[in-house]
Amino acid sequence: MFSAYLENPTQYFFEGQDSDEKIVLLVRAHLITNLSWIIPAILIFLIPFFLPSAVLFLGFDLFSIPQTFLSALLIINYLLVLIITFEGFLYWYFNVNIITNKRVIDVDFESILFKNIDTAPLSMIQEANASVGGFLGIIFNFGHVFIQTAGAKVAIDMKNVPNPSLVADRIMDEAHGVVGP
Amino acid sequence: MITNTGALFNVTTIIPFVKLAILVILFFYAIFALLIVRQVDLMSKTLITPISPVVLAASIIHAGFAVGFFILAFGIL
Repeated sequence: MFSAYLENPTQYFFEGQDSDEKIVLLVRAHLITNLSWIIPAILIFLIPFFLPSAVLFLGFDLFSIPQTFLSALLIINYLLVLIITFEGFLYWYFNVNIITNKRVIDVDFESILFKNIDTAPLSMIQEANASVGGFLGIIFNFGHVFIQTAGAKVAIDMKNVPNPSLVADRIMDEAHGVVGP
Repeated sequence: MITNTGALFNVTTIIPFVKLAILVILFFYAIFALLIVRQVDLMSKTLITPISPVVLAASIIHAGFAVGFFILAFGIL
């Protein structure tokens, strides 16, 4: 359910899916990329443990503030942790790349009020390039897949997907299955 | 009366600013939480998965808490 690489998922559907359209592959960013929000969330979670000593060092006793105010500040701190965690999960879970038996779809939620969906029919796909780079990318085998269509521009880019060469190969296999050998 | 005269800051002078800051933060947080409900609804309609209803329910509960905290803070601070 929380995998970043799903072949033939049966419980996943998308907006605008045709009745005869079947999801062949669903990929999202590699699990390890979630560290970009997990680490800040942990650091903010730990702030209340270190803040009293830090402000005491500056000559201010935090506990001289009324208890209700301290409780409110503590709640704000943990609400911040909650929102970072929730938003991080949402962006990871719902930013997906879908390969069906008809087309390739890139769903991007780039901010809270911005949605972008790129679609390319398999018959229009000319090539799919995979690239792996960076320290974590090499270790955990994730990277980018760029799909070029007949329009001579990179129509779809899949970012930080696991097994990028396998994904690119799968896309080309599906495209050849439609266009022919 | 709570004072800390030996400290760098005087507690009584900063309390109103702390109260205002807390209320402003909680107000914007509540607005943001309501926007997240709309965002999750949009996401759940775009990609329908087994956990979509759970995520939507979590976002609604979260928004309820955010609004509740703002009202509570407004009342007790």
